[in-house]
Amino acid sequence: MTLVEALENLGVKKSLLDSSGVSWFTTENVDPRQLAESLLRHGARFITVTTHELPRGQGFRLEYLWDLDGRLLGFAFEVGNTMPSIFDICEAADWIEREIHEEFSIDFVGRSYEPLLLREGDRTGVNLREVTQ
Amino acid sequence: MSYKMPMGPYHPGLEEPYKLEMICDGETICDARLHIGFNFRGIEHLAETRNYVQLIALMERVCGICSFIHTLTLCQALEQLTGVVPPPRALYVRVVMAELERLHSHVLWAGIAAKLMGFKTMFMACFAYREKVMDMLQAISGNRVNYSMNRIGGVNRDISDPEAILKMVEQLESEIARDLVPVFTSSFTARSRCAGVGILSHEKALSCGVVGPTARASGISQDLRRAAPYAAYAEMEFDVPVEAAGDVRARLLVRALELLESCRILRQALARLPSGDFNCGEPKLNFAAGTAISRVEAPRGEVLYSVSWVQNSRNPSRVHVRTPTYANMPAVRWMVQGARIADAPLIQASIDPCYSCTDR
Repeated sequence: MTLVEALENLGVKKSLLDSSGVSWFTTENVDPRQLAESLLRHGARFITVTTHELPRGQGFRLEYLWDLDGRLLGFAFEVGNTMPSIFDICEAADWIEREIHEEFSIDFVGRSYEPLLLREGDRTGVNLREVTQ
Repeated sequence: MSYKMPMGPYHPGLEEPYKLEMICDGETICDARLHIGFNFRGIEHLAETRNYVQLIALMERVCGICSFIHTLTLCQALEQLTGVVPPPRALYVRVVMAELERLHSHVLWAGIAAKLMGFKTMFMACFAYREKVMDMLQAISGNRVNYSMNRIGGVNRDISDPEAILKMVEQLESEIARDLVPVFTSSFTARSRCAGVGILSHEKALSCGVVGPTARASGISQDLRRAAPYAAYAEMEFDVPVEAAGDVRARLLVRALELLESCRILRQALARLPSGDFNCGEPKLNFAAGTAISRVEAPRGEVLYSVSWVQNSRNPSRVHVRTPTYANMPAVRWMVQGARIADAPLIQASIDPCYSCTDR
């Protein structure tokens, strides 16, 4: 089974190729953990997650970026303040999940945290607009 | 009986502050935990308060070694948002600067690795090579650390005398090939201190998602200059050195061979420098709303910038930077397991870590 077929089975569909050369995929009703498992099985490399705070307290958009033989694959999830952790499936996601937790107070469900950029006892959410403006 | 031994955050064996908390049994490291954040500056957040001119100057200061690479990656993303296309000469100048920066970074790292091996003569020799690379960078940009070379639509300064730089590169290449590469590839000191030490297996390297020379030393043939070419790399001929052993010596070999490949790329770029403008002048810039993502193969591995802009804004709404050390550093935990305490400084240094980048 090719990666595209595997992604389609999960409900993921390619939406567009943007000017950055990123192939973006739709993720409505997609389980991020199954998605990560499928990508890893097909030899994709996890790169990072970029967090965007949506206006008027509408939550966050988390953009998961993966590399497949030099092709950049993007999967955007719109979430509240929780998201299933993929750390136990993909250990490369450990630090970025911890960083996002510290910067945006998003809870990655199913894992524990140690301080990464902040120190023990520091307040999380240091990059949130409501905190910094 | 096991005991904990902290190394860092401020330690003579570390270049920059981070903490490696080792759990040891006698002289053997059983496990380790890593702590970063001692340099955390909140640059990503600060970037949201800067216009594009200030933004380039700010992001140049994410890293003191890869300052050119950071602005290159940023400017490539900004060029996507503005639709500005740099002229061919600018793309070649970017390749020259990027490869000089790789030489600078690798030679600096080789010096520090030599010092940690107890080979201080080689440390001095490497820093002498580094001076020569910095002379070239200064001859082109006027600066030795933060070069201020990149702008949206090209570069700020031209290479006015490529023949002179080419001669300097050829001279340096012959010295590196004669002195530095043999020492690191075949000397007894390098072999005895590095072979079989700090192994990162191919499977673990894949699992950790490591990048750059650290990945290539564990048998992963991955280089963005080849897989997703940018600037003028599609027009360059070069090899991507890959080693399978995954130990400190393999990381040493990969970087030593990459020095020669960088010189090879530099010779091609300088000899074929296209004529014409080196930037687009002062075009009216209209930033499209949306996100642009750019990736570059820095000396330590893949750097990724994700830059978002909203309509009619002076500032970016989000700048996210994923640096290579951020991807490589967690793998140090697996590299030190089973190693001797005395090898820990060399093992952590073997990924060429940059905590300034990592903490941003």
